[in-house]
Amino acid sequence: MVKTKKVGLLLLAVLIALIILLPLVWMISTAFKNDFEALSGRMNFLPKKPTVDNFVQGLSGELMNTPVLRWIVNSLVVGTVGTGIVLFIDSMAAFALARLPDLPLRRTLFSMFIASLMIPSVLTFLPMYMEFNTLGLINTYQALILPATAGAFGVFLLYQFFISFPKEIEEAARIDGVDKWNLYARILMPSAVSIMATLGIFTFMGIYNDFVWPLYATTSPEMRTITAGIAMMATGSYTQSYGKLMAMTTIATLPVVIIFILGQKSFVKAITSAGVK
Amino acid sequence: MKTTWTSRLTSFLFILPYLAAFCMFLLFPIIYGVVISLQDFELLSTDHPFVGIHNYVTIFTPGTYENSVFFGGLWTTIQFVIFSVPLLIFVGLAMAMLVNALPGRVRNWFRTFYFLPYALSASVMAVIWLMMFDTNAGFLNSLLAKLGISSIPWLTATPWVWIALVMTTLWWTIGFNMIIFVNALNEVPEDYYEAASIDGANVWSKFVSITLPSIRPVMLFVMITSTIASFNIYAQPFLLTRGGPGSTTRVLLMNVLDQAFVRKDMGSASAMAILMALFIMIISVVQFRLTNRKEKV
Repeated sequence: MVKTKKVGLLLLAVLIALIILLPLVWMISTAFKNDFEALSGRMNFLPKKPTVDNFVQGLSGELMNTPVLRWIVNSLVVGTVGTGIVLFIDSMAAFALARLPDLPLRRTLFSMFIASLMIPSVLTFLPMYMEFNTLGLINTYQALILPATAGAFGVFLLYQFFISFPKEIEEAARIDGVDKWNLYARILMPSAVSIMATLGIFTFMGIYNDFVWPLYATTSPEMRTITAGIAMMATGSYTQSYGKLMAMTTIATLPVVIIFILGQKSFVKAITSAGVK
Repeated sequence: MKTTWTSRLTSFLFILPYLAAFCMFLLFPIIYGVVISLQDFELLSTDHPFVGIHNYVTIFTPGTYENSVFFGGLWTTIQFVIFSVPLLIFVGLAMAMLVNALPGRVRNWFRTFYFLPYALSASVMAVIWLMMFDTNAGFLNSLLAKLGISSIPWLTATPWVWIALVMTTLWWTIGFNMIIFVNALNEVPEDYYEAASIDGANVWSKFVSITLPSIRPVMLFVMITSTIASFNIYAQPFLLTRGGPGSTTRVLLMNVLDQAFVRKDMGSASAMAILMALFIMIISVVQFRLTNRKEKV
């Protein structure tokens, strides 16, 4: 009785997994089909005449105005640099808020940062566009990177970690004459490696996957990120070329899915700590 | 610890880089957005005369273009929220309970499978579903053809567009809610269930009288985050339906961005953005208050 119930649940779980994974399998399968087969409406998961043309054409930039390789590089650069900045400035800010009681305006700053977590992004979108426009920074890497550095999520996450760091270790270090910078860099940061990795994965995926801002903050094809580029392709002349579109989405998905699977545990941890306030 | 001014300055230097980013890319834009909304701000013009609350008045004046796009978009968005949020909560909870009932060895595998679409970007998600929903060559209609059912205009007729938008949203984001519920369910004390079993409670009454009350704060969190996310819906209608058929799925964010970048009226668009943000914040506060009150009674 118990056993059949378990088997039933397992079958249900497998069925749901198949439904969820089906669009992804179909994406990969279509990426290897020529346009004729992709549009034939046949439900073959294994392409009749598998071809890598879609990938080759996409990556070599043969398709008009779609330097896909450049888009991938843009996304990786923007994601990596943005994540680096976020990890650095957020950890210093969280350290100051949690461990430096003589920080001026400590409570005010902390409440200001926390309150900002509740602000919908639509509020800052248009003025931020005008700000970058005025500075002449639309269509630059700065425009793609900098907005992500203002989020308070990382400060909040690292603050919670630093505040629970044992006071004794800190005091012992102070007696030994360790200054604030070394307290941060040599004593607290090494213990924060796992939480920093969590924040890093979260931040990277956020920047890499962001879609609306890069769509408006870039104007030339070479400056697009892969996410914005695919959106442009889908609304442009490739709407019906599913083979090519799917090759591009497959390539776009690879880096982030690899990171997602490698860092899945810490990703889950970050979501949980965001949920349990 | 020393509290000399040099020490305070050093402490401040640690927070300065983040504070600078915060001021430049969050605080300043918010203030600047209010200023823009009080101006006749043509995107390509350099002269932006101050017009007071004129942009807001226009939005609230029946019969104006701004009035119809703002409230039309708002109503479309509210419909989407009403369709999607209950499903996002209950399907998420059901999947979390299913995952938790699985044997430990396979549990993590299924959690990863269910969570995977959440790692995709909005445009990848939308392009995949554009292909799935294609009327002539799409996977779904091919499947229906095999079953002898005639093809469905998924993206070009109601009510199918709504079903399509809700389906893609569920597929894309349900993993996030599921993870939150999995963790919440794991924190319900096991002895509550044991005690209930001794009293002869069945599965349903255990669910209603133990599980639901125990995870109430998490339900509230999921409800608020799902509502906020659904209010910000943009990618699905922008890429899948272009707001169509007609203007059935023209959501508020789409209209705000069009007002700014297509009609090039930044002033009015900023006023709309501010009203939209206020609306979202008020909804979250109301949800929070209502659910908290229930708990006290």
